[in-house]
Amino acid sequence: MISTASFDFVADLQRRETAMRCEPGKEYLVEARLLPLAREAGYEDVDAYVARLRVDAAARADAVDALTINETSWFRDLAPYQTFTDTMLPALLESRAHVRHLELWSAACSSGQEAYSLAMLLRENLPPGWTATIHATDVSRAMLTRVKAGRYSQVEMNRGMPATRLVRWFERAGSEWQVSEELRSMITTEQLNLAAPFPPMRRFDVVFLRNVLIYFDAQTKSDILRRVHHTVAPDGFLLLGTSEYALDAGPGWQREVSGKTWMHRPEGARPATPAAGAAGPAGVRGGAGSAPARPLATTVPATATASFSSTLGTVARAGTGATLPTSLTPQGA
Amino acid sequence: MHALIIDDSTTMRSILRRIVTGLGYTTAEAGDGQQALDQMEAGPLPDLCLIDWNMPVMDGYTFVTRVRDREEWRDVTLMMVTTESEHNQIVRALAAGAHEYVIKPFTPDAIIEKLDLLGLVPQEATA
Amino acid sequence: MTTTTDTPVDTVVRVEDVRALLDGVWESFLGAEEPLLTAALPAHLGGWTAAVSVTGTWRAQITIEVVDPLARLVTAHMLGRDEEPAVEDVRDALGELVNMVGGNIKSLHHGTAMLSLPWVGYGEDAPPPLLRETCRLDLTWRGLPLRVLVHVSASAAAADERRHSG
Ligand SMILES: C[S@@+](CC[C@H](N)C(=O)[O-])C[C@H]1O[C@@H](n2cnc3c(N)ncnc32)[C@H](O)[C@@H]1O
Repeated sequence: MISTASFDFVADLQRRETAMRCEPGKEYLVEARLLPLAREAGYEDVDAYVARLRVDAAARADAVDALTINETSWFRDLAPYQTFTDTMLPALLESRAHVRHLELWSAACSSGQEAYSLAMLLRENLPPGWTATIHATDVSRAMLTRVKAGRYSQVEMNRGMPATRLVRWFERAGSEWQVSEELRSMITTEQLNLAAPFPPMRRFDVVFLRNVLIYFDAQTKSDILRRVHHTVAPDGFLLLGTSEYALDAGPGWQREVSGKTWMHRPEGARPATPAAGAAGPAGVRGGAGSAPARPLATTVPATATASFSSTLGTVARAGTGATLPTSLTPQGA
Repeated sequence: MHALIIDDSTTMRSILRRIVTGLGYTTAEAGDGQQALDQMEAGPLPDLCLIDWNMPVMDGYTFVTRVRDREEWRDVTLMMVTTESEHNQIVRALAAGAHEYVIKPFTPDAIIEKLDLLGLVPQEATA
Repeated sequence: MTTTTDTPVDTVVRVEDVRALLDGVWESFLGAEEPLLTAALPAHLGGWTAAVSVTGTWRAQITIEVVDPLARLVTAHMLGRDEEPAVEDVRDALGELVNMVGGNIKSLHHGTAMLSLPWVGYGEDAPPPLLRETCRLDLTWRGLPLRVLVHVSASAAAADERRHSG
């Protein structure tokens, strides 16, 4: 088992570099994540490896990367992406008609699945003549290198990528799959530590800040949300993770619900969802305001699978089968 | 929800069985495509088939085409779970009527996320 | 650089690719905590041999050799059971393992090829391959040895060598 001194050193390193907390009790996790690196570098145990970290900056960067939780998947949790196509995109197509361009930000993008998932939805749904850029940032340079390469292992491809999109947007590249140049060209990358002051940034129409705030303490969270506020267009959208949306975002934010997704919006933004009770377009349920929407139907409507599968026969012209199937598993129901 | 797990490996069937029973499914198993067709004839009809590609007697691809020939089996969701991972093989399987495709190896999360895409994760499993 | 026109498909199997695919199989079904480690192993491991072959626009055989204790450990893990697995279970688990590794290796190439059903034996060699070794991984897991071999069609391998030494 890792010694207390080694653990403290590693926890402190992690906090300094990423603001992520690594509290006592997580010794097992640290050990499990560092052991492969230790073995690879020829050390018998983690303590010997940590001794090396004290004097080797390059090894420290690798260790921080290994300790960081990069867990991600394509179209993670589904519902936010559905809300993106069903609610946010229609609103933005109206409000940005004069520029015909959208700016998105995937903050804490990990290996890029979030950014590329959005790129696919944009390519499949943007009207001709429109363009979009997705700015992908993370504290880890190793992750940004991966985003730029756009290459994913077989195991990663399995995580939430609909087969129709796999065949449409990816090519085999050795043991991996590579995302098409068309999508890669929509992505810009930048190393950015959310816990530190931001460099000058553009205004974004949509910000995905998902599954990263949970790792920070309350003060860091609220600092980040304040900084992010300056980067979101007055009528823009901020999406937090499924376990994060309930947190108090602090001043300047209002919440709006669409389906089972909570969106944070700068105060004063005109609701993007049709007024409660009004019949919205397919897929948009629930209304504006702060009351949670009724969960979606609790059983699988016969049409859900059928309508999705009907798009599957058209792999060759998959551009028409762009929308995600209705997801039918309400959270917190 | 009822799943028919079609794979010639008992190990793989056991892995898949543990994942879907964890979601609340009942399961039946078949060691090849022909056995699976026989079981579907006999009933009960599954909501979901998890289908390996390379199997003796009748492979999974042929099984998919046979199921798609039958109007009354239209509502059965077909998901390939196979080591076949060439781009064109995936296209073939989808064109033949498979709804989703998981490449072996996979983690339990991968199967569950794919079923979620298909609206086939019973809601009590996520509650 | 010399190019050959007589081999329709590139038959290089890069050892890094095989390793990446093997790691994927291992992490998915046997957990990421204990990694596979590179090791120096004796020529003959003794124990189980599991193989699949690829035939089509390129030809190959993928073989996994493991000592019996590791075979049983892997089987118990895959089945999620603590008790000692039966011999039939070991045979099946190793067959599925080589099927996954072999199927993934098959897809490294663009040609059309078919994967055979797995062949698994104990204390015997795989069917003598009319092929020659192009890739070998000597590894240990939890201190127990295993070996992964990829053989390709001899003529293809020769053509390949010409191309890469050119
Ligand atoms: C769990 S992943 C989430 C990825 C993706 N947003 C999602 O929801 O799937 C968390 C990511 O946050 C990054 N991260 C951790 N601390 C950070 C910081 N201080 N600034 C920016 N990114 C950070 C990690 O490198 C990791 O890639």
